[in-house]
Amino acid sequence: MTQFDAADRANKWEVQLRKGCLELAILAALWEGRRYGLEILRQIESDSELIISEGTIYPLLTRLKEFGMVESQWVESDSGHPRKYYALTATGRQKALEMAAIWERFSTSMGRMLDPLRREVKP
Amino acid sequence: MSAAGEGQRRIERYIKEVRQRLRGLREDQLHEITAELRSHILERASGGSELTIDGVSAALERLGTPEELAREYAQDEVLARVEISRTPLRLLDSLFGWATMSMAGFAVLIVTISGYFLGVVFVLVAAMKPFHPATAGLWALRDSTGDLELSVRMGAGSAPSNGHELLGWWIVPLGLVTGCGLVILATRFALWCVRMYRRSRGRPRGGEPIA
Repeated sequence: MTQFDAADRANKWEVQLRKGCLELAILAALWEGRRYGLEILRQIESDSELIISEGTIYPLLTRLKEFGMVESQWVESDSGHPRKYYALTATGRQKALEMAAIWERFSTSMGRMLDPLRREVKP
Repeated sequence: MSAAGEGQRRIERYIKEVRQRLRGLREDQLHEITAELRSHILERASGGSELTIDGVSAALERLGTPEELAREYAQDEVLARVEISRTPLRLLDSLFGWATMSMAGFAVLIVTISGYFLGVVFVLVAAMKPFHPATAGLWALRDSTGDLELSVRMGAGSAPSNGHELLGWWIVPLGLVTGCGLVILATRFALWCVRMYRRSRGRPRGGEPIA
């Protein structure tokens, strides 16, 4: 494997990792109550580094809706255009809890695995 | 043209380009997607004040190119739809959508249709056997060059003189089992292909977001 291939692979891995986490991040952003797309984006942007392109979030929201994890509703706003609000369904809340539990276990075990690398890693 | 008018024109051009690339989706889905995109861009670009060209350009840039955005929507939507299809007809409908977007989708569609077709043929021949006991069934026929070939016959017309029937009444249970088996296999094949395809693109499985 060339140096370029290795760097490309690491980059792809990071993109996939971010995308994989985005689903849980969206559910977490909706935990406190309903939000529209841009609000969800702003919350994720302020709390994490998961957003690569803003375009990735809307297809994901559409998919979560298709699987019955969120529901949506158009609401008129003062800004002059309607906003599409998303809220967790009962299924979505249940799934979010299950995913969060898996994430906790996963990050704890990965944290242990990465202990030997910590001194070398630049933040 | 005013800055707001020019900004509005850019937004509509962007949305039109995304829409043109989403031909595999239903009209109601397209309507939802474009309405939400318009709402997002207007909100991001204006920030509560007058729409500016710079604001629109920045908002569009953050969304990604129309090609990138359409690809995220189209394949995510269509593949998710394939995965949650629970009947062969719905599965085929969803696969048609995927086939219009990629060669992989087209190949999976062809194989799945072939599986379904063969499955239906076996079930039909089993169903026709009681009505045409002498002619319906699996036949071994000898063609003009002397080679043997297998033929599934529904029973219409007279019995062929250049061959003989292989299974007799066994075609009823075997035809039903084989036919249903082929339909189930073709369905599983299509769903497996979608899962592999999604995995290769770095997506978690649609039906199991927890995994």
